[in-house]
Amino acid sequence: MTVLDFIIAGLKAIVILVAVIQVVPVMIYVERKVAALIQDRPGPNRVGPFGLLQPVADALKFLLKEDPIPLYTHRLLYTLAPFLSLIPACLVIAALPIADKAILFGKEITIQISDLDVSLIYVLAIGSLGVYGILFGGWASNNKYSLIGALRSASQMVSYELPLGLAAVGAVMVFGTFSLREMVLQQEGTLLGVLPNWGIFYQPIGFLIFLVASFAETNRLPFDLPESEAELVAGFHTEYGSMKFATFFMAEYMNLATMSGLMTVIYFGGWHLPWVTDAQLLELLGSQNLLCLIQVGTYIFKVSVFMFLYVLIRWTLPRFRFDQLLTLSWGSLIPIGLLNIVVSAILMYVLGGK
Amino acid sequence: METLLPLAILLIVSLLLCASILIVTQLLGPKNPVPSRLESYECGIKPESGPHVPFKSSFYLIAVLFLLFDVEAAFFLPWALVYKESLAEGPALLWALLVYLGLMAVGLFYILQKKILRLN
Amino acid sequence: MKEAVFTFFSLFTLLTAAGVVLSRNVIYSAFNLVLCFFGLATLYLLWGATFISMVQILIYAGAIVVLFVFVVMLLNFEKPNERKTRLPIILLSSAGVWTFALILLRVLSKSVGEIPVLETTARASVRTVSKLLFSQYLWPFEVLTVFLLALIVGIFVLARPEGEEVK
Repeated sequence: MTVLDFIIAGLKAIVILVAVIQVVPVMIYVERKVAALIQDRPGPNRVGPFGLLQPVADALKFLLKEDPIPLYTHRLLYTLAPFLSLIPACLVIAALPIADKAILFGKEITIQISDLDVSLIYVLAIGSLGVYGILFGGWASNNKYSLIGALRSASQMVSYELPLGLAAVGAVMVFGTFSLREMVLQQEGTLLGVLPNWGIFYQPIGFLIFLVASFAETNRLPFDLPESEAELVAGFHTEYGSMKFATFFMAEYMNLATMSGLMTVIYFGGWHLPWVTDAQLLELLGSQNLLCLIQVGTYIFKVSVFMFLYVLIRWTLPRFRFDQLLTLSWGSLIPIGLLNIVVSAILMYVLGGK
Repeated sequence: METLLPLAILLIVSLLLCASILIVTQLLGPKNPVPSRLESYECGIKPESGPHVPFKSSFYLIAVLFLLFDVEAAFFLPWALVYKESLAEGPALLWALLVYLGLMAVGLFYILQKKILRLN
Repeated sequence: MKEAVFTFFSLFTLLTAAGVVLSRNVIYSAFNLVLCFFGLATLYLLWGATFISMVQILIYAGAIVVLFVFVVMLLNFEKPNERKTRLPIILLSSAGVWTFALILLRVLSKSVGEIPVLETTARASVRTVSKLLFSQYLWPFEVLTVFLLALIVGIFVLARPEGEEVK
């Protein structure tokens, strides 16, 4: 272990983390603009050209606000809760393979913070810790609405973690590995000569389950019951203000980026461009670093498509009722997930291997 | 070790991020605690009782069921990992799955038939 | 370097474990338990047992403690328990502690001579563990599933008061 290793590891962690945090202001702007578009109004247009500086103004406002701790709250847990959401959201991005590798300082560097051999389970496991920020935040706030919101949110998140896991099992069966990086490497080239060799064509039902469950896991509409403002004021973060409130939102948007990244990596070929192999591209470009840039661009494009889908759905669909939400998970998604595993297993046996 | 070092750095960086968020808001934000601002916000009406209202026991059941099914689902993961390779040696793992899944499906069917998840 | 990190997380795990027992408020116990399981998972990770480490977080920190927190929230343990500890409770719990200590002593004394073996199993890849689970240990595994099924049914019988129809 040399000093260079330390520097590379630190750079990877910091650069990728900072890049993912940039998702938050971009998403705030896109979300507000799309909402305005759908509701036929101009949206933010005063701060900077086209209102582009609006997220900066928002962030400054959050920072400059008073940060009161309400009476009768449990101060320690109340203060820690937003960070209990944010830390898992920061940690999960370590497993996402953004691009293959670059050559810097005369060394090959993989564009992924940590290439664990169990990175898929790592994302699911650390992601499941995000529920504590909500639970403890709701409990420590000393407010009925917060508590109800927290309980609802937690039941929802745990109910939808199972379909998410079952969909992931389908992907693990097809690829035969837990490593997200190896999954992407296997998705190069074409399938049957016409289709890109992507996971979605092996696990279409798994992908749909994953998509629906990821909406619920990130507490987005149509599954945003924890903060259904008509019933619960603002749900678990009713008593939060200033930057603590914003921290919950940072965590939410970062989770959104992680979920989109996970779908890109498992079902849409990660950094691969369709129909072209990396070797062909490398020959065309003649430089590994240039190829790496193109891969990063491809990855970001695919993730943005998913993020845009999240925004569109948020402003077009109404909210579920709570019992409908639970029935959807336990009564439909989990049985379909199990069935998907059986059917995939039998198909793989009949077709021999893949 | 190569995989763990960046993880450790990421953990430290995110802890620092959280600490800096806490400190910066304390430094920049005004401090003007008004008694009414510190009361819990329940639509402007003064709270009559503490925050603990009775809940339906279904919430508890969901948590227990999640625990059990999470354990069962966790066993799928190692199974899925070796399934593809094992196909070369015949369908032994397929039978293992069918027995396992059959038992899990019985459990799931039992819950659904009890209609425990209907909260209204 | 690795030893230092390992020592740090060992101490972290022990301290949070003490926190679980010593906290006056149940919810802080649960909070400490999450941290404790997280520390334990880090130790497994440092040993190279990645799969066990992740399952530790997924099941223990992600599911079992959620259940604890749910119970605490539903039952309203607002005030710390001030009731005096009674003699039978002291006797029962100390009996439990002594039994556990004896088992631990036995296990530790058996495995001290076999530490190299322990190390290789810990470093075994996920694949090896999975293969063993579904060949050599297949029957215990299936029996476990029956046990889980019995638990599901049992919970419903216990959680629902006699005669009350759930709507």
